[in-house]
Amino acid sequence: MNALEFKKSATLTLGVELELQLVNTRDCDLTRSAPDLLELIGGALRPGAVKPEIADSMIELSTSIHSRHEALLAELRALRDAVLAAGDRLNVAVAGGGAHPFQRWGEQRLSDRAHFRRLSEIYGDLARRVAVFGQHIHVGCPDGDDALYLLHALSRYVPHFIALAASSPYYQGVDSAFDSARLNSVSVLPLSGRAPFILRWDSFNAYFARMRDLGVVESMQDFYWDVRPKPEYGTIEIRVCDTPLTVERAAALAAYAQALCRYLLIERSRLPTEDVYLAYGYGRFQACRFGLDGELIDAATGAKRTIAEDVLATVAVLEVHARELEGEDALGAIAAIARGEGNDARWMRERYRRNRSLPDLVFRQVERWRGTA
Amino acid sequence: MSDFFFLPAWPPPVEDLPWLAFLLIVAVLAGEAVQRWLHLPRLLGWIAAGVAFGPEGAGLLDEDTLGDIRGLLDIGIGIVLFELGQRIDFGWLRRNPWLLGASALESALSFAAMWAVLLVLGMPPVLAAVPAAIGMATSPAVVLTLARELRAQGQVTERALLLTALNCLYALAAVSMLVAWLHAEYRVGWTEVVAHPLYLLAGSLVLGAAFAGVTLGVLTGLGERTDAQFICIVVLALVAIALAPVLHLPVALTLFVYGALTRVFDRARHFAFLEFGRLGQMVVILLFALSAANLEFGLVPAGALAGLALVIARFAGKTLGLAAFARRSALPARKAVLLGCALMPMSAVVLVLAQDTAELAPELGPALAAVILSALAMLEIVGPLAAQFAFKQAGETAAPRHGPGPA
Repeated sequence: MNALEFKKSATLTLGVELELQLVNTRDCDLTRSAPDLLELIGGALRPGAVKPEIADSMIELSTSIHSRHEALLAELRALRDAVLAAGDRLNVAVAGGGAHPFQRWGEQRLSDRAHFRRLSEIYGDLARRVAVFGQHIHVGCPDGDDALYLLHALSRYVPHFIALAASSPYYQGVDSAFDSARLNSVSVLPLSGRAPFILRWDSFNAYFARMRDLGVVESMQDFYWDVRPKPEYGTIEIRVCDTPLTVERAAALAAYAQALCRYLLIERSRLPTEDVYLAYGYGRFQACRFGLDGELIDAATGAKRTIAEDVLATVAVLEVHARELEGEDALGAIAAIARGEGNDARWMRERYRRNRSLPDLVFRQVERWRGTA
Repeated sequence: MSDFFFLPAWPPPVEDLPWLAFLLIVAVLAGEAVQRWLHLPRLLGWIAAGVAFGPEGAGLLDEDTLGDIRGLLDIGIGIVLFELGQRIDFGWLRRNPWLLGASALESALSFAAMWAVLLVLGMPPVLAAVPAAIGMATSPAVVLTLARELRAQGQVTERALLLTALNCLYALAAVSMLVAWLHAEYRVGWTEVVAHPLYLLAGSLVLGAAFAGVTLGVLTGLGERTDAQFICIVVLALVAIALAPVLHLPVALTLFVYGALTRVFDRARHFAFLEFGRLGQMVVILLFALSAANLEFGLVPAGALAGLALVIARFAGKTLGLAAFARRSALPARKAVLLGCALMPMSAVVLVLAQDTAELAPELGPALAAVILSALAMLEIVGPLAAQFAFKQAGETAAPRHGPGPA
């Protein structure tokens, strides 16, 4: 039972996890209400649909497995509404966004569960700093080798996901100048960044076994890679997205990932080489800092363009795949973001400029998440 | 003339010493000691310091001096009620109307239970209704101070604050009415019976609303959060506290309305929460110490039994009321009982209310004093302990905290 077994899952199925902010309605600061909220929701939902997270001011929604965008969105909406109904009775507001704009991380109380206690022991205050809010997209893979192929082929597109989802411009009370300040706090963890360039599942197993024998990690959960394999689900997991401000955008991002994976699995036009990582850190930073205006360098061709242009070029290629997956609407929504609608970070900055109140901004995020703004 | 004429008389004349500053520092030190070594709420230390200084203790504060600092008590009460007013959350009451049911029932049942006890003790009905109405109110100073000290967050804490705001409102309104009825009993004209409470309620509302409007206007004019804003908030609150008595309006109700309406009027949430910071903390510490010094423990034995019966009736009424609506208002039964504990504190405001009443109807004073004061003295100690127990048992305090971090 030493080797990681890559469980078989239906290819290109989707699952989404969303980490959400719980805020009070008085000054819109984070509030430690996950225990009360989870107690009230109790057994009303599918087990595991709403889960505690590292801090008591966070919860996580996880969908079941879907093959189509529409069904995924329907479930996300149902989960959102169930949590909202419970939150309304407890006066707990829920918001999307990659980081709370003005909370002080020293004020956060970490969840009193074994896994999170261990994280706190290992990482100290970093554990509180990574109490940020992300969207994780799982895409089902036929086997471990394909999962690793997809993981590395996707790395070129990681800046797309960062820029499209970015929703954490404000952090610790100031404008960070980044579109996604959240990823900066994840980057401080020693096992963050990109996965090693390994393309065969048995080699990956050997790598994991060595890391475990060295005592660097205990399980796959200890790797905080941008994209990581999740063998027990039979998926790869894209972890760079900030939690968007709406479930619609979360579902659209998942559908974009699905279409992209279909394209990569079918076309296999460019086998990944380690060269894709030459410009990886640069592109990742550009996406965090400048969002869709960031610059992307294609390591294979040397071509430079903005992330928005690259997204639009990719959307054109993916249209046929989106049609097969019945995800044209979602792809259209992604194109609209790149074409000028802008990401959620931009929406937040525009909102803040209207009356320069961060609590009010959070309140607007709450309304937006509710679907009333 | 003595050779040592330059030495002061011994003991030095008390009124010349800055005894208020002395009291404050002793209270602060006692608070820290109580917290550090006994793991009890700091405010018990503040109370102990007040008692030690008061007529029952060292006698540094005699009744005349205490009479002189009524203005300071008003400031403390005003500050607490201003903050309490901001805790009224109309949105929450709209989304979870059963909360209002629970609030009404806990207040009504505790009123009824206390009234029944006092009737059994042979008090005339209208007279008995006054302490029963006063007893509906939970001490906002205790609940706010404890929630802040323990950094408590969660359903028991949030509901304790909301329900305290509501039951204080009921008590303030009810007492105004009852005082008017008492006037009627003492053969005052009917116009006064109707017009006086109406004036108190409407006057507080108008004055509070006017100040809320002015405050938001000034703060908006000043722009970003600055020291100037803080000064304006403090000064405006002090002016309101001074103005209310001039207009014969209750400070408590006026400042409560002021706080509640600043929140309602601030639609853009520029000023999410107006606080008095460390300055307010100093005044609140003095409020605890001075109102404790006001407590006449000499009356306690006389009223002990009746007082205990009152305390039990009050707790039973509150807890039953909360438990009855627990499920419908989305609160587990266990937490409803803890919420009952959290609502136990009863202190300074009550005393001032009692004094207000005593001033208006002199015949009422001594009759009320023994029973209320012994109940009050018990709850002064038991209340904060019960509330701390509730917040801790509900798991809503800043601990359990693991890993490194600010203490």
